[in-house]
Amino acid sequence: MELELTLSPPNQRRQPTKKSGHGGNTVTKSPLLSWSQEEDDEPNKTFFTGDYQQDLDGEGQGLNGWPPLHSWRRRLIEGEWFNERVDEEEGDNMNEVNNIYNESLFVKVKMDGVGIARKIDLNAFHSYQMLTTTLLHMFDKYVEIDEDGASYTLMYQHKDGHWLLPGDLPWEMFIGTVQRIRVARN
Amino acid sequence: MAYSFPEEVLEHVFSFLSSEKDRNAVSLVCKSWYEMERWCRRRIFVGNCYAVNPKIMIRRFPEVKSVELKGKPHFADFNLVPEGWGGYAYPWIVEIARGYPWLEEIRLKRMVVTDESLELISKSFKNFKVLVLSSCEGFSTDGLAAIAANCRNLRVLELRECEVEDLSGHWLSHFPDSFTSLESLNMGCLNSEVSFSALERLVARSPNLKTLRLNRAVPLEKLPTLLQLAPQLVELGTGSYSAEIRSDLCSSLLEAFSRCKNLKGLSGFWDVVPAYLPAFYSMCPRLTFLNLSYATTQSPDLTKIVSQCHNLQRLWVLDYIEDTGLNALSMSCKDLQELRVFPSDPFVADANVLLTEQGLVSVSEGCPKLQSVLYFCRQFSNSALTTIAKNRPNLTTFRLCILEPRAPDYLTFEPLDSGFGSIVQHCKNLRRLSLSGLLTDRVFQHIGTHAKKLDMLSIAFAGDSDLGLHYVLSGCESLRKLEIRDCPFGDKALLANADKLETMRSLWMSSCAVSFGACKVLGQKMPGLNVEVIDERENLDSIPHNSPVEKLYIYRTVAGERFDMPHFVRTMGKDNRRFK
Repeated sequence: MELELTLSPPNQRRQPTKKSGHGGNTVTKSPLLSWSQEEDDEPNKTFFTGDYQQDLDGEGQGLNGWPPLHSWRRRLIEGEWFNERVDEEEGDNMNEVNNIYNESLFVKVKMDGVGIARKIDLNAFHSYQMLTTTLLHMFDKYVEIDEDGASYTLMYQHKDGHWLLPGDLPWEMFIGTVQRIRVARN
Repeated sequence: MAYSFPEEVLEHVFSFLSSEKDRNAVSLVCKSWYEMERWCRRRIFVGNCYAVNPKIMIRRFPEVKSVELKGKPHFADFNLVPEGWGGYAYPWIVEIARGYPWLEEIRLKRMVVTDESLELISKSFKNFKVLVLSSCEGFSTDGLAAIAANCRNLRVLELRECEVEDLSGHWLSHFPDSFTSLESLNMGCLNSEVSFSALERLVARSPNLKTLRLNRAVPLEKLPTLLQLAPQLVELGTGSYSAEIRSDLCSSLLEAFSRCKNLKGLSGFWDVVPAYLPAFYSMCPRLTFLNLSYATTQSPDLTKIVSQCHNLQRLWVLDYIEDTGLNALSMSCKDLQELRVFPSDPFVADANVLLTEQGLVSVSEGCPKLQSVLYFCRQFSNSALTTIAKNRPNLTTFRLCILEPRAPDYLTFEPLDSGFGSIVQHCKNLRRLSLSGLLTDRVFQHIGTHAKKLDMLSIAFAGDSDLGLHYVLSGCESLRKLEIRDCPFGDKALLANADKLETMRSLWMSSCAVSFGACKVLGQKMPGLNVEVIDERENLDSIPHNSPVEKLYIYRTVAGERFDMPHFVRTMGKDNRRFK
């Protein structure tokens, strides 16, 4: 669809009628562009595709400014503050994520290029292979992944904070030390 | 027709007009009314600090007592406006200090406020009474110390969700012993610990204190003491609501709360230990406002609380309340007007709580006065939206945030066009709307057709083409604020509706499809608008004209282009020096 500019030279413009306060449209000025009533068939090709999905240190929260939470509140959440529970009996903060004595062992999984993270229960898996396969399929509705996942690398954050490649530890030891998982693009 | 009313009578009549709109209307009637009105206007509200020059304001309204300014666009709250964009309070404070030496009130929102500004405020206005800073940044506790030390007649000091450089809690101790006029203190957003004895003494010598919002650093053990000193409180924000479980603290809290017969609003509840919640149960029937949005406590506790708050009008809560809690709310709180449900774990797709659309549907059914909704959840359906719309045609604010962008109706997998369409169709007085989920141009057609009273619209990850934006700009007669991110809206709709932009306060578009060229044309042809392109990419000058800009902020102004911009902000079409 072509742009139709219908500007007239400045001197030839009609004097716009006085606007009443701030409300209502002025109808008398000629528009900068006249709107063609046909529906637009082609979506805008020149859609801005900037780096709005960049991660920060692989732990980032994905989409910039989404969800729309006040930065003050967001900072509280990012401090993992909301996900700690105070156990009334013990009086301690129990981080449910790393408690292997729970029946479920949920960890966050973040994939590069996908805005939203997922959570999985590691106790539901018995091997690295099962984990890898599941993870790749979890995200396939967001991103195109080749069958063997060759373009992605799995990484996990050890409970002492370091990011490591899985596979060195036996599975049972692994699930006791993992804090969170990242599926990194190669 | 001769005037039979002397000026004094007219002025007296005008003094009953408090609304901005009314006063603006009055001033347009004729020259003499304009003159009279400008001399007796006492409150000024400037919705965009760049829309008007302070000198213009002071020249027109010489006897103002209260100034309220807003700076950055709303999306700055979500970190979408880069640091350094602008919104500086100092130039305004300088002019106001010169022009209004008898100013009593300053309210600033989303502005950069320096310690220098605060010091200037504290020294320039002999009768200064009210300072409210919302979502502001740029100052430290040193600036607060200046306010405390110098504002002898201060009544209100409120800091709401500000980013303050917390050097120490010592600032509070700067209130002199002779200072007794405090009515409202909100320090909830500060991190550092203030001297408790200074706080205690301050509260003790402030008989008019009605609002006290503590910060997280004030321990629960100290709360009973403060409440004993201020039983007249109407609004209380607790500090940390956590302590080891001790029966003596339980009973002293209970006793202290029961003494506060006027308490209508409660907030705070940082780090909640559920065992201490019953301490304020006796207050619940009197509460009209309850902010539990920092209380990480589970549904059973929350349900118990809300079930007792029969007079509750406004509830802010985390999604821990779940559908069961909201159901209890719908049965117990028939006066509820405003509900805000915030997410506890927003960055994860999988739900950690049982909060669904059902919760909101229940509330919409059970609470006939519900007007304002902010709801974060993970999925929604068109049928739920339609049910809500039919239940509550009196809604004025509807902000739904489905956490995953472009999420369709989870039952039918269709876009949520018809659901939001129902909202705008039934809720004829809707003034504010935030959309989310999968949406096509169709939803904008509904909005343009029906949302005639809509004042503010927020759009993200929605629409198919320029047609969507065109529907909104051409149809929404009352629209003043439009903010858009990540939508395929481009040049055509913007240029075709350029005139509309002059009737609005502002338009924000980021990660859309508006080109540099179109921005330049718009800026050139519309002298009443500032068309700001905010773009942090390098080599901006070598990007072709038909390429889309990163971010765009258009606002009407009588102050001309501004000159305090950082390098990544350019006003298009005005000054060819800055951008070719």
